[in-house]
Amino acid sequence: MRLTWITRSDLLLLRAELQNQLQQIGPCDILVGIPSYNNAKTIGHVVRAVSAGLAKYFPEAKSVLVNSDGGSLDGTPQALADAGVDLQSIFIPHRVNPLNKISTPYHGIPGKGSAFKLIFEIAQMLQVKACAVVDADLRSITPEWIELLLRPILKEKYDYVTPYYHRHKYDGTITNHIVYPLTRALYGKRLRQPIGGEFGFAGDLANYFLTKDVWGTDVARFGIDIWMTTTAIARDAKVCQAYLGAKIHDPKDPGADLSAMLAQVVGSVFSLMEENERLWKTIVASEPVSIFGFQYEVGLEPVPVGIDRMLKAFELGLKEFLPLWEGVLPQEVLAELKSMCPVTPAVKFADDLWVRVIYGLAIAAHRKAMTWEHLLRSFTPLYLGRVASFVLETQELSHGAVETKIEELCKVFEHQKPYLIQQWDHSSTQGGVS
Amino acid sequence: MKDLWQTAFITPLKEFLKQVSAFLPHLLAMLVILTLGILVAWVLKILVFRLLKTMKFDQLCGRTGFSQALAKGGMNEAPSHLVSRMAYWAITLIFLILGLGALNLKPVDEFVALAISYLPHLIVAFVILIVGFLLGNFFGRATLIAAVNAQITQARFLARGVRLAVILFALAMAFEQMGIATAVIVAAFSIAFGGVVFALAIAFGLGAKDAAKDFIEGRIKKEQAPKEEDFSHL
Repeated sequence: MRLTWITRSDLLLLRAELQNQLQQIGPCDILVGIPSYNNAKTIGHVVRAVSAGLAKYFPEAKSVLVNSDGGSLDGTPQALADAGVDLQSIFIPHRVNPLNKISTPYHGIPGKGSAFKLIFEIAQMLQVKACAVVDADLRSITPEWIELLLRPILKEKYDYVTPYYHRHKYDGTITNHIVYPLTRALYGKRLRQPIGGEFGFAGDLANYFLTKDVWGTDVARFGIDIWMTTTAIARDAKVCQAYLGAKIHDPKDPGADLSAMLAQVVGSVFSLMEENERLWKTIVASEPVSIFGFQYEVGLEPVPVGIDRMLKAFELGLKEFLPLWEGVLPQEVLAELKSMCPVTPAVKFADDLWVRVIYGLAIAAHRKAMTWEHLLRSFTPLYLGRVASFVLETQELSHGAVETKIEELCKVFEHQKPYLIQQWDHSSTQGGVS
Repeated sequence: MKDLWQTAFITPLKEFLKQVSAFLPHLLAMLVILTLGILVAWVLKILVFRLLKTMKFDQLCGRTGFSQALAKGGMNEAPSHLVSRMAYWAITLIFLILGLGALNLKPVDEFVALAISYLPHLIVAFVILIVGFLLGNFFGRATLIAAVNAQITQARFLARGVRLAVILFALAMAFEQMGIATAVIVAAFSIAFGGVVFALAIAFGLGAKDAAKDFIEGRIKKEQAPKEEDFSHL
């Protein structure tokens, strides 16, 4: 939990200072935003990569780098200010326009979404043509990322760019098992990393994001990534992907609460389903999305996975939550979940059951079968069970084979979409599970 | 003989008939009030039911766990039905009290005055109980979810404890509101609550000191050990 104690007069002073700074800078072509919180170790590298990328690929453009900080206590703003890059050592001539740097704390609900809101506001004030946002904990970012995220906007007239990385087969499990297959089935776009963390977008789209009143919701926290991607698709923005190689970042805060993170992301997806109901119901299949960048194989470090712990969490959840899910999930789903107890390492959480669980949750959230917070948080053990089952099943498989398995899962999500629509409509009229 | 007949039978009978004829309009008034009350209660029952349906009250009860708690108690009726039926009986009761007042009998009048002055306390106590029950369910479920996600094996025990504590607290407040053995209720609640906390402290400190030691050591070791699950979920 991060808290920045700031008085109203401090805030006004800060705002005035920022306004002055922005007026001095004037209109810009490019803005690169870096949301941060205690990233002193890595932000220097990220800033150097961004600076080099802007100098190398957009030397003529007037650019600004904005760090929106959540009240870091480890000297992140100082690390950002100190970060410099010797352009000559990487064969880049001096920039025509020097890079402007702004580091300012954001206010509002602590979270990435609030940091992004400030970046959008600055983008609007500076009337930028293209924006990119990159995480401050990245270790694998290179100058090329900046080109790949911004060139589709500036030269190819795209509106929104999502990243496309090579990640370890067990990295990004919420993305692989929920967000990617679900958004693909709902909105028909095969965006492999819809919540990747690095995005490029047109200045107009940033202005459009600001018109939405979502900054007091989970969007202000971990829900921002999926919200931006879905909002862009729903606005019929021209979307593409940028191949960025490997994604290696600092380990996340071990104290971060998985169930809160899961609830925020999945809750945002479900809220967006309510908002875009008319759109997703009409989409029947998915289509590939263009990928820019030269694709190559990357070596990925193995990641340890605590299967025993996940299985224990799954079993405890099944034992304690089954009565809670009565009347929330369909009876046949509950029966299948019940049959998995006692949980052993031979447990198999099949794709078909998993999809029915996710769709069942979406419908339960739609008909408000339980307080959203309780509903989404009670889902954590099921998620851990699915991840453990998937890891056990794919331990011996290569990265490519695991991608094929995820592709199969996506097809099940798409295949069962008519069931989702039917149950959704039924719950809208009857208010129950059929 | 004629005088005796007149004194022993005719006069008391006349007196009785006079009293009955004086009482009959009051009885009739009571019956009219009661009939009107039943009619008003019936109309109100339908209105309350429709209003609750419009407000999606059943779904709200489902979300807060109230419906599930009712089902556990053997009441499978929809909460909107239940509340509208309660409204019906409350209105009928009020009209019954008013009707009794119309009888114009001194003991009944005293009872009616007492009942009317007590009614607000009863209503407040009832509201406290309902809110306490809803809050108990809500916090009980929140505790269960948080404890299971933290992988505490005694999650259900904890959740029940929280639910019970909230409901007990509401019950004590409701009794206090109704003025039933106020001092005894407050003392009993304080003793019971304090007793539970004291018992837990002793159980943890003495009876389960090894378990406590293992738990704390386990936590320290867990914090020191490299994290097993190192991948990013997002």
